[in-house]
Amino acid sequence: MRLKIKTGDIFVAIAIVVSSVLMLLSFYKENTAEKTAVITQNGVVLRKIRLDLVTEPIDIEYGGDYPGKIVAEKDKIRFYHADCPDQVCVNTGWITRPGQIAVCLPAGVIIKIEGGHSDFDIIVK
Amino acid sequence: MKKIALNGLLVSLALVLAFMERFIPLDLLVPVPGVKLGLANVVTMFALFFLDVPSAIVITVLRCVLASFMFGGMTSLFYSLAGAFLALITMMVLKLGYDRIFSIVGISIGGAAAHNTGQIIMASIMMRNSAVFAYLPFLLLTGMATGIITSIVTMYLFSFYEKTIK
Repeated sequence: MRLKIKTGDIFVAIAIVVSSVLMLLSFYKENTAEKTAVITQNGVVLRKIRLDLVTEPIDIEYGGDYPGKIVAEKDKIRFYHADCPDQVCVNTGWITRPGQIAVCLPAGVIIKIEGGHSDFDIIVK
Repeated sequence: MKKIALNGLLVSLALVLAFMERFIPLDLLVPVPGVKLGLANVVTMFALFFLDVPSAIVITVLRCVLASFMFGGMTSLFYSLAGAFLALITMMVLKLGYDRIFSIVGISIGGAAAHNTGQIIMASIMMRNSAVFAYLPFLLLTGMATGIITSIVTMYLFSFYEKTIK
């Protein structure tokens, strides 16, 4: 068996690791007190929530082919329930930091946390 | 005739592998959509090395379409086709340097990285949101680990095939 590692293999591996680290660094955001969760479905913004101002849990339901429910609490948000086949969105659990996302591919829903001073159209107190 | 039978056999083998790896809950370890072992790529590699490019394309397309019908859902078809095609093209290019520059390991992890990139590009197009690119580094790094695992499987398969069947 030819289990011989070639120089090109190491080159490919280094390229993958370096590009991953560069992407991780560029996506990394400082943790800010002010956090806004933006929920979009297929490019349409369903809702923006100031997570730092949440006092009681908020349920956000969404429709589509695979409907589900998102729950927001103080400084965190997650997919609580989803009708999608893979359940990856629910398994992602809570996201808490700016730059983090949770995605349900089948439903086309993305939760993204934005930090700092972003504009929002709903303030929930 | 023999070629059609072999291609059919390989499609069903790829489907069985894709079905089996659904029972390995890799996405609990890395909670990112699209994380999987990618064992079906062993079949694609086999087709690239021992059959020809048209066979590899036919097997890949049939595997993606049938897997989506059987257990993935229609949305997964676009993701798997985008990933599979980019992976196939990348592996075809890397294979040109096989034995001189790259071994099976390099071709396999290169294919895995291309697969992940294709999936994320398709996801950002379909969801009209570039936020999904935040998942790409996690996919690339797990893809490298799974790519090494599948390349070991591939090497065993190749040496077994060359010794016994060929």
